[in-house]
Amino acid sequence: MTPSRRTTLQWMIAAAATPLARWMPPASAAEGASTPLLGPIADWPGAPPLPTTKGYGRDPTLMEPKVAWPLTLTRAQRTTIDLLGDMILPADDVSPGAGQLGVGAFIDEWISAPYPTQQGDRATVLGGLDWLDRQSIAQHRKAFAVIGEPMRGTMLDALCAAAPAGKLEMPVKFIDRLRHLFVLGFYTLPEGKKDMGYVGDQPTEGPYPGPSVDARTHLAALLAELKLGVRTT
Amino acid sequence: MSRGPATAPADVIIVGSGAAGGMAAYSLTKAGLRCLMLEAGRDYDPQQEVNMLAPESDAPLRGSATPDKPFGYFDATVDGGWEVDGEPYTSTEGSGFRWWRPRMLGGRTNHWGRHVPRWGAYDFKPFSRDGLGVDWPIGYDDVAPYYDRVEKMIGVNGGPIGLENHPDSPADCLMPPPAPRVPELLLKATAESMGIPVRAAHTAVLTRDMPDPVAPRSACFNATPCSRGCTIGAMFQTTTSFLPMAKATGRLTVVTDAMVARVLTNQAGRATGVEYVDRKTGVRHRVSARAVVLAAGTGETTRLLLNSGEPGRGLANASGELGRNLTDSTGASFSAFIPGLADRPRYNEDGIGGQHVYIPFWLYQEQQRGELDFARGYHFEVWGRFGVPSPNVLPRVWGADLKKAVRSASGATIGLSLRGEMIPNKQTYCEIDPGVKDRFGIPVLRFAFRFSRHEVNQVAHGRRIAHALFERMNGRILDDPSLPPEKIMAAGGEIIHELGTARMGTDARTSVVDSYGRAWDVDNLVLMDGAIFASGAHKNPTLTILALALRASEQLAARFKSGAFA
Ligand SMILES: Cc1cc2nc3c(=O)[nH]c(=O)nc-3n(C[C@H](O)[C@H](O)[C@H](O)COP(=O)(O)OP(=O)(O)OC[C@H]3O[C@@H](n4cnc5c(N)ncnc54)[C@H](O)[C@@H]3O)c2cc1C
Ligand code: SF4
Repeated sequence: MTPSRRTTLQWMIAAAATPLARWMPPASAAEGASTPLLGPIADWPGAPPLPTTKGYGRDPTLMEPKVAWPLTLTRAQRTTIDLLGDMILPADDVSPGAGQLGVGAFIDEWISAPYPTQQGDRATVLGGLDWLDRQSIAQHRKAFAVIGEPMRGTMLDALCAAAPAGKLEMPVKFIDRLRHLFVLGFYTLPEGKKDMGYVGDQPTEGPYPGPSVDARTHLAALLAELKLGVRTT
Repeated sequence: MSRGPATAPADVIIVGSGAAGGMAAYSLTKAGLRCLMLEAGRDYDPQQEVNMLAPESDAPLRGSATPDKPFGYFDATVDGGWEVDGEPYTSTEGSGFRWWRPRMLGGRTNHWGRHVPRWGAYDFKPFSRDGLGVDWPIGYDDVAPYYDRVEKMIGVNGGPIGLENHPDSPADCLMPPPAPRVPELLLKATAESMGIPVRAAHTAVLTRDMPDPVAPRSACFNATPCSRGCTIGAMFQTTTSFLPMAKATGRLTVVTDAMVARVLTNQAGRATGVEYVDRKTGVRHRVSARAVVLAAGTGETTRLLLNSGEPGRGLANASGELGRNLTDSTGASFSAFIPGLADRPRYNEDGIGGQHVYIPFWLYQEQQRGELDFARGYHFEVWGRFGVPSPNVLPRVWGADLKKAVRSASGATIGLSLRGEMIPNKQTYCEIDPGVKDRFGIPVLRFAFRFSRHEVNQVAHGRRIAHALFERMNGRILDDPSLPPEKIMAAGGEIIHELGTARMGTDARTSVVDSYGRAWDVDNLVLMDGAIFASGAHKNPTLTILALALRASEQLAARFKSGAFA
């Protein structure tokens, strides 16, 4: 089979196939079961299993796409997810934050889907939300959503550890998955595509014109840098 | 048991409506024959059902792959995938073959990849070249005129290749190919600096309008994922071309949801018709005709024969070759993050769906001199363009840095998918599972599958080349070079090029059909899909399936004219 789908699907294939270990190391590496940024690490909680629901089946109506399963997140959980969304992909002068854009609804849809990948993520995400509160209460005597921006930031920094071990492994995995999901959910939206400067999805009659002048100029410079000659046709 | 719905008895029953069945219906009805097409899947109309322009964000889970829709929500596959409900298949221990099946009018042409390279002289005579496998009873020159016609019939764009064993099309066969994109141009410059060719791919997508009174097709408008299907008819699918054209002759009757269970024969050993199960009601029907064409897809055509005729032996199996010689292409995927492509200027990189250029196999001379540790070739299909960067190229950061990283990394990954030839081996075949039946009570297929050293070494070689290319581009390789090649190879069946289980030959003792797909043992039974291939080649098979189906259909029609079935 020839890969023919647009990149969102390649993303998914890569997302399923890429071990987390291949992420580039972060600026702030933390080691061991406890991290100076967090102090003693809370236990990783379990997550309730998914009630029996159905997927969309092998022959859904493609003209009217529908999510076939009930959602999971409580209002409080959704608040935390949106909060995390606005931290992980914050508003700037190019685009709104992921929380603001409602990407949290996509996360909810994802972890509520009755498919194996999504069920794995459900345990990670629900467990993670619970863990964030436990850790935050242990440390600050307040739930994660109310400890304030700087403290939340410190926790997120710690959860970007390069080589998490012991009790930190699951929380770091949680933030990794959440980051993946926010990137997928955000950048597949029209606002996200615009943020990336994506140009396309526009039916254009006539022969495909190929790269623009700017794009060719950039390529020519790259080819020169790589000593590959300057062919751009 | 009841008689089927066809009013007038048909000249020919065609089982399956994909590439092979569609071509048979088109060609046979044009030749004046009345055809009854039986399709196991449901009726399907791309005009009504393809959500061509909806953004992926409209789809549940952003169109991600799920067991229900393995190629994503909007993929056109109906009722199928690696699993079809109520229609299992099995594998012998440790072999793990995966069988892709749709259940829809038009079969896999509704969502296939559309890469349609011609096979070359070596591909039809592999035994003569390296002593492995068998030669085909026909050579490139026998197929070439049909390639010419098929390319014009289905609409193929591409350019000259000009390489050994990659025959070029005559001047009037191809539509112009689309301009290459930036990553493709970088690959071209890199590969050519290393003596590796890059050429315009041949793709079954129109780049010029194709007028027709019944099924007019428009040139591609360079924007949507083809695997959803194409309501403007730019990509080739039988549902927007051959099937409406054949219906317009008034000589084609199509019955969908008709799961054919076996071929019926009389005492004289001729096919009299088929028995099928109505998938909706479970009622069995028998329909008769003067000839039967099997085009249900490689595995299914063979299953039908194994389930017909003599219990335990099958129909058309005097040679004992039925089910043997199963192959799939080898497959592996390599990718790299190319820093030089980060933050590059944006432009519309959509083009026609899929690759605009590819790397054809180029080492035939080296192979002939014994310098390679594998027989047969492979090619690389190319991917990578603007879009959401995959997680493996993003740093482990959050906040403003993550947003910056996403923008920068979009469009900076290049991927190469290897597709290689597999040589038939004794450990790879399909047979009827003695214990398992599907929900219609039809015994199912059991697969055995194993790659040999040739395929493993070939993939290892391809990986070295792919990585060398990436390194020359100063890329950061994203796949693990230390894994053994066996671990990076797609499982049998996963490339969806299964072929060869009822192979053609010159000798009834060692093959199932002649070069026209006619069963040696059953004169009025013709096979037209990939089952009849005598070997695989690294090149995607569908153009050759179509060419051979056209050739077989015209011979069948000629035999009708000469009174062979009177
Ligand atoms: C995602 C994908 C990408 C691909 N990419 C490429 C590519 O780039 N290039 C290429 O050359 N090939 C490609 N292929 C392979 C290509 O699709 C097949 O080679 C081709 O479609 C085979 O045609 P066929 O007519 O033999 O079978 P199919 O298209 O599978 O048609 C067979 C039909 O028969 C029906 N049928 C099955 N059993 C029965 C029964 N018992 N009774 C009645 N009807 C039955 C099926 O429902 C089906 O509709 C790809 C396939 C897939 C899925
Ligand atoms: S890219 Fe072109 S051929 Fe493919 S679906 Fe869109 S219009 Fe059709």
